[in-house]
Amino acid sequence: MIIELREFTRVEGNGKAEIVIENGEVKDVRLKIVEGPRFFELLTLGRHYYDVPDLEARICAICYLAHSVASVMGIERAFGVEVPGEIQLLRELGLIGELLESHALHLYLLVAPDVFRYPDAIRMATKHGELVKEGIALKAFGNRLRELIGGREIHGINVKPGGFGRYPTTEELERIERESEVLLRFAKRTVRLFASLEPYGERAGHFLATDGYLWGERLIAEGKEPFHYTERIEEHSLVYSFAKQSRYNGEPFLVGALARLLLKGEQLTPEAKRLFEEHREKLETGYVSYNNLAQAIELVYALERAGEIAKTLLDKGISSENVSVEPKEGEGIGYVEAPRGVLVHHYRIDSSGKIAYSNIITPTAMNHAMIEKSLLREAKVLYGNVDEMEMVQRLEETVRAFDPCISCSVHIVKL
Amino acid sequence: MMGKLKLGVFELTDCGGCALNVLFLYEKFFDLLEFYEIGEFHMASNLHEKDHYDVALVTGTVSTHRDLKVLREARNRSNYLIALGTCATHGNVQGSIEMPIREKLKAVYGDEGNPMRAIDSKPVVEHVAVDLAIPGCPYNKEELYQALMDMAKGIDPVRPDYPVCVECKLNEYECVLVKKGLPCLGPITLGGCNAICIKSGLGCIGCRGPLPGEVNPASEYEILKSKGYDDEYIVRKFKTFARWEP
Ligand code: SF4
Ligand code: SF4
Repeated sequence: MIIELREFTRVEGNGKAEIVIENGEVKDVRLKIVEGPRFFELLTLGRHYYDVPDLEARICAICYLAHSVASVMGIERAFGVEVPGEIQLLRELGLIGELLESHALHLYLLVAPDVFRYPDAIRMATKHGELVKEGIALKAFGNRLRELIGGREIHGINVKPGGFGRYPTTEELERIERESEVLLRFAKRTVRLFASLEPYGERAGHFLATDGYLWGERLIAEGKEPFHYTERIEEHSLVYSFAKQSRYNGEPFLVGALARLLLKGEQLTPEAKRLFEEHREKLETGYVSYNNLAQAIELVYALERAGEIAKTLLDKGISSENVSVEPKEGEGIGYVEAPRGVLVHHYRIDSSGKIAYSNIITPTAMNHAMIEKSLLREAKVLYGNVDEMEMVQRLEETVRAFDPCISCSVHIVKL
Repeated sequence: MMGKLKLGVFELTDCGGCALNVLFLYEKFFDLLEFYEIGEFHMASNLHEKDHYDVALVTGTVSTHRDLKVLREARNRSNYLIALGTCATHGNVQGSIEMPIREKLKAVYGDEGNPMRAIDSKPVVEHVAVDLAIPGCPYNKEELYQALMDMAKGIDPVRPDYPVCVECKLNEYECVLVKKGLPCLGPITLGGCNAICIKSGLGCIGCRGPLPGEVNPASEYEILKSKGYDDEYIVRKFKTFARWEP
């Protein structure tokens, strides 16, 4: 017998799952990504590098900037270009905006309705209007950062190899400093809400992240010794899904907010670090549902860090100068932390500046195996103990905790 | 007052941006809810009413049989269907890879497993009749808001009919094509985005698709050639979001 989870709601993109029951027992789970393939690697092949980050942005709207930045970094590394601290800080500011926008969307509009038992945030707003409003304020602030750095709320083209089309002004930076401080209060409240929930899903055995907080030169896992993805991650195609599955040394693993906190907690800003320490014991149990709590703590981190960056740039002043980029033959990998985890853009570029090879691995493809494992465990716990409706509902919550981004997950190339 | 209009949001294969952009209306989204009741919007709600809709918004391209089924249902169950975003109106980036679907699948997934039933990505407008097409990758959210508000009041929505260039002039942005020699498709691209990319000092990449009517891609082609861009580069640019014929 097969229990179908019809297409997930309150997640980004189109996916569903099947629970296979044999002889009255849960035997298997299949996570089916039914979103059609979008062939991004093919799209970029043979393209001039200058146009590529703008196209890669279209992989995903919720984390378009992570895609642009990862793409730009892959290209810069292929050419041996290094950008100064100012440009790095501005990129970080953009990624922070994205973290805020994405986590706020997920926590307040997609997950909170589960907590309060509503079909959606619109209906929840009648009773919990404040919460919804606070979520929207955080999301809007995140989006303003994306617009400022990325050029548009969604799919801006301002982030370029070597710098930006336009740099923020002093007034814009001052505003960020002020607003991030004001919003901090909301984020802290949300940490309390998510800390109070019982865990569910599987406990992840392996965690993966980039070596810096929002990007890195390489990846790290529990041992913390940095490595390239090609050394330890393999991908497989599945007959039932448009997304591939990745494994770390052959095992399912977790990327995202929880993985970041557990592997890089010492890099957090003061208040976020304090909150992390306060809830550390819980988080360290590794239950995938604590990804929600981890995201809430990251809201605090993001707001504190946005303020710090704005202040640093204001103190130093910004020169608004791009680094010149000369194409040459090379290979480079961009590793960025998208809100829902590690994102890899890997390119080989020819001497005329055209893309000769490209590989992209998105966070949801990385978490794919872990989502299945989590569903399997949760289904085993629930099957026979609760009615089917409730089981399906709870399983959907388990999927939602990963904050999966399904559109993102469907285009991995093999050449 | 009359009852509220029923609105459904349907997502086919895409990046999620056009659905997300509806939520990015923020307070205005709640203004819309004074006139509309949402029966289905899977990114935001787990309601699934299978109802009849006064207005259906469809985003994305038809890239699988599932997409086709969803689209046909949306068409059959709605009075007024809006193709929303360049995926739905022109096919966008995933529609631009000129290769048979079998080869594309093979290149991406290898021989290991052949995933399901994909079809060549085509915009919504090539499969069903639509009542309104709002392009943009993503579309300008004000434009959608205005269209929905107009409809709620029984007015036919207005559509922009000028190129991005006009909005550049109105904003007094320096022309990046003439002054900096950057590749900019502004002269032949449908306006309505307020020339937002040129605000960044960069060239329009044509995400709103071609300006219908008297547009002149041939002269744009000549200008780009004179700035030193080669044929292949220009053709690819023209064909990325919509299939412009230079
Ligand atoms: S038109 Fe652009 S923003 Fe809209 S769904 Fe398609 S790729 Fe995303
Ligand atoms: S300027 Fe061009 S690329 Fe930018 S939003 Fe407008 S139409 Fe799209």
